[in-house]
Amino acid sequence: MTSRALPLPAPPLLKRFAPLAVGLGLAALALALPAGWREFPAAWNLGLRAPIDQLQSTIVANRETIPLFQYFFDPLSAFIDWGLRLAENLLLALPWPAALAFSTITGYLLGGPALAALSLIGPVIMGLFGLWEPSLQTLALMIVAVVLSVAIGLPLGVLSASSDRVDRVVRPILDGMQTMPTFVYLIPVVVFFGIARVPAVVATLVYAVPPMIRLTNLGLRQVSPPAIEAARAFGATRWQLLFQVQLPLALPAIMAGVNQTIMMALSMVVIAALIGAGGLGRQVLVSLQRLQVGQALEAGLAIVLLAIVLDRWSEGLSRLDFSDTAREPVKALAPRWVPARWESAWLTAALALRRLAAGPAHILGTLLGGRDLRRFAGVLNLALVVAALLLLDLLVHFGTFPSAWRWYWREPTDALVRWMRDNLFEIPVGGLLIGTGPVSDFIVIYMLNPLRTLFTEVLPWPVTVLGAAALGAWAGGWRLSAFAGLGVFAVGLLGMWPFAMDTLSQILVTMFFTVLAAVPLGIWSSQNDTVREVLRPILDFLQTIPSFVFLVPVIMLFNIGRVPGLIAAVLYAIAPGIKLTDLGIRAVAGEAVEAARAFGSTRGQMLAKVQVPMALPSILLGINQMIMMVLAMVVIAGMVGGAGLGLEAVNGLARSETGRGVEAGLAIVLLAVIMDRITQAWAARSQ
Amino acid sequence: MTVVPATEQRPTKIACRDVWKVFGRQPERVVERITPDQTSAQVLEQTGHVVAVRGVSFEVQPGETFVVMGLSGSGKSTLIRCMCRLTDPTRGEILVDGQDVLKLAEPALREVRRRKISMVFQNFGLFPHRRVIENVAYGLEVRGAPRAERLARAQQMIELVGLAGWEQHFPKQLSGGMQQRVGLARALAVDPEVILFDEPFSALDPLIRREMQDELLRLQADMHKTSVFITHDFAEALKLGDHIAIMRNGQFVQVGTPEELVLNPANDYVAAFTKDAPRAKVVSAAAVMLPCPPGFDPAGQPAARADAKLEDCLPMIAAHDGPVCVRDEAGALLGVLDRLSVMKALIV
Ligand SMILES: Nc1ncnc2c1ncn2[C@@H]1O[C@H](COP(=O)(O)OP(=O)(O)OP(=O)(O)O)[C@@H](O)[C@H]1O
Ligand SMILES: [Mg+2]
Repeated sequence: MTSRALPLPAPPLLKRFAPLAVGLGLAALALALPAGWREFPAAWNLGLRAPIDQLQSTIVANRETIPLFQYFFDPLSAFIDWGLRLAENLLLALPWPAALAFSTITGYLLGGPALAALSLIGPVIMGLFGLWEPSLQTLALMIVAVVLSVAIGLPLGVLSASSDRVDRVVRPILDGMQTMPTFVYLIPVVVFFGIARVPAVVATLVYAVPPMIRLTNLGLRQVSPPAIEAARAFGATRWQLLFQVQLPLALPAIMAGVNQTIMMALSMVVIAALIGAGGLGRQVLVSLQRLQVGQALEAGLAIVLLAIVLDRWSEGLSRLDFSDTAREPVKALAPRWVPARWESAWLTAALALRRLAAGPAHILGTLLGGRDLRRFAGVLNLALVVAALLLLDLLVHFGTFPSAWRWYWREPTDALVRWMRDNLFEIPVGGLLIGTGPVSDFIVIYMLNPLRTLFTEVLPWPVTVLGAAALGAWAGGWRLSAFAGLGVFAVGLLGMWPFAMDTLSQILVTMFFTVLAAVPLGIWSSQNDTVREVLRPILDFLQTIPSFVFLVPVIMLFNIGRVPGLIAAVLYAIAPGIKLTDLGIRAVAGEAVEAARAFGSTRGQMLAKVQVPMALPSILLGINQMIMMVLAMVVIAGMVGGAGLGLEAVNGLARSETGRGVEAGLAIVLLAVIMDRITQAWAARSQ
Repeated sequence: MTVVPATEQRPTKIACRDVWKVFGRQPERVVERITPDQTSAQVLEQTGHVVAVRGVSFEVQPGETFVVMGLSGSGKSTLIRCMCRLTDPTRGEILVDGQDVLKLAEPALREVRRRKISMVFQNFGLFPHRRVIENVAYGLEVRGAPRAERLARAQQMIELVGLAGWEQHFPKQLSGGMQQRVGLARALAVDPEVILFDEPFSALDPLIRREMQDELLRLQADMHKTSVFITHDFAEALKLGDHIAIMRNGQFVQVGTPEELVLNPANDYVAAFTKDAPRAKVVSAAAVMLPCPPGFDPAGQPAARADAKLEDCLPMIAAHDGPVCVRDEAGALLGVLDRLSVMKALIV
């Protein structure tokens, strides 16, 4: 081991006042620079727009003759389209009672009566809203995207688990992919696939595949070395090792990957609608654009239901255990809510039901020569019921969900929205006006606008660039400093300076509110188990909702503009902040807490002097996650009046000005990566 | 006069020649530079490499049990893992039936592992996702035995190690000792010629441990398996081992029969292992006998066989005032035992 001389500590005075000095220097520079330096010089624009548009139109014009398209993208496209049509046709051909039966029984098999109920109610509500077909279209898109994600992610995961070199190449790519807001994925996809259903699948797929790769890799790498060694010692081949030992042992992690992939795919639903996906996403998008908030709410609710059901299903799938046939649970007790005098009747009925359920498996097993098929009883019953309903369909012809059964929420919702706008907009309390209007105005007038003015009109651009560099230097050293400074400068070169500064001001104000809410709530939840129990399901729920759907209820209250995006972003991003703060504080080692207690600390002293400082890395990690989510949401909110980079990108996509979209997309990526690196370095520094 | 090569006379089962294992970034380079007077601690300090096994050579004859003992970290597991190439030695030769295991290509190595050598692991190395019976049948499964056959064989082995009734359980539902027996059954199931045991009985209670040791001795006697056996328990080493090697810092300090180690420990390190050995059970009459005193008349004196352990001679010596004769198998007089020399041999 070589021992290196420790770096001499910087003189404390200099160290403490360095940030102040840099700040003063920047302020002085801001005052000294003439007014002409406020705007980023337009002449420096790299002018990417024209060549990209050129490329795009060349591609469109010569699709048939470019080999890359002829032999790769087009066949791929055709294949995906075929899969999508197949899935859609199969799902839409399913008579609705069969679909409901399938969903309910699957729910029961994967998670018992509660999940069965959820799996029944979810689709029924979609039907009642008149969203049966869009829901199935979305489901088809999910199925295709997830199947492809698994088909691509699993082998890649296996590959990167088996070779450190592959892992070293793949990992930074995945890291990069996960830093980017969903939105950015659309842009390159549009260049290569155009706008239609297939590119929507591709964008979803690209977004959803990283967790599959990551978790397969992780799961395989975590398989206990003794088991692998034992298999090798008995002469297992690589394939035997993989299929008999590694994959089975990594299965829980792989299933967690599938679960995450499904959730990521769902969170793309609305955004993918921007480039041509149909289904529920399109319903939300179109309704919002037409300001039909009620309809948007219905479709948004349908997406949330779909997300919850699929989440619970895939979670159940990972817990599924086909192995335990030896011990059947023989419960001689009825549930608590069954009155004692009904208990024996309950048990008899339960037993009879169980016999009935085991019947088909028993019969089939006997027919197949006495095999024990009990563990497949559930799947078998599912197949039987669905088959029976399909047969019945030949006679009765159920068709699609009956149009006579409707239960729209749109009118009451729209009425509610109107009522809220009329009555909650301004509420005089004493001499003060509160309500959505004043709150919204306050945020815009006193926070968003001044900050935007500061960035776009007061600060000369070199000061902003140097400021970013200084922040980078403070958090992570000269490399990060150079990266941050050059990155911000590049945003200017892209010609996106004013839009980026607008977005940045929104992000900063949103982060202010998010941190203000998340950190105290996290601390409270770490100190109080009741608070934690109450918060947990809410946070879990918030985390299953796709980002775009957050906008719907907020727009109900606040109309469109920058404020609803801000509030939606706070709601969207708050969960990881609370969870990580709570976790960090609770994880503070018992010994340290005990020692602090032994010295007679009060609870407040303990929090302030021991727990929060020790939990700081975890809290900062939460802030890192929150900032990335806020960025994603602020970009999305650009579509509903938030303006900034998001609007630029959407406009680029929507008006097929691809060059503009690419410029905005690159600026978004730069902002995302810079903020990610700085907050991560900050978290690492505080460890 | 014809010279019969030793190998033809008595084919050595396992021969290790100058085996080295160095862990680190550049083991080949480091192993070349180590000089005999450099200690492993110095190598670690100067190069950052761990010398786990250091020039070990030994031979094991067919049907023999070769025991390796040594303190924790002395390189026992590493040595045994080199023998089936779970780790590749940095240098040296490991011959099994005259064939250098280190030169085998992957398919041939697999074949050796499937048929000839199996291993019982220190940390059990069971497959957590497989039932006991599937664990035991694993070796047969990878070499492609039909399902019914391998399950039947596994069932037999499970009964042999006393786990009947637990076939359908998963490893984590078993105690440490039971898991160890599953590992044992798994190794036996493939009916290998060589078994490598890495502290196979360390987690067993004394009763089951003795049972397992007896079982192993029986297997040895019946099926002439060759084994290499690592243990921390000298009593176990005495009971099972035909030869015992004492290992320290990656080197063999001394190799010999139990008796040789007990009577002539090479240094204090070895003596520390043999100190508590039940010497009466280890030392034989031949090892402590004195030459016949002049004018000694063996007629009418009691006699012990030369290979009899002192334990068995003691009653005779106690009951008889004069010296006791020591005779070989043919009955020829070799020497005598007197009380003083026997007591000296027992006490030390
Ligand atoms: N994979 C490895 N990488 C680096 N060093 C290793 C590795 N495996 C073993 N060693 C080192 O080799 C030395 C010998 O380890 P080994 O496991 O062979 O000891 P042991 O004699 O079996 O000990 P125990 O009785 O505790 O099982 C130790 O110093 C250990 O740190
Ligand atoms: Mg060991």
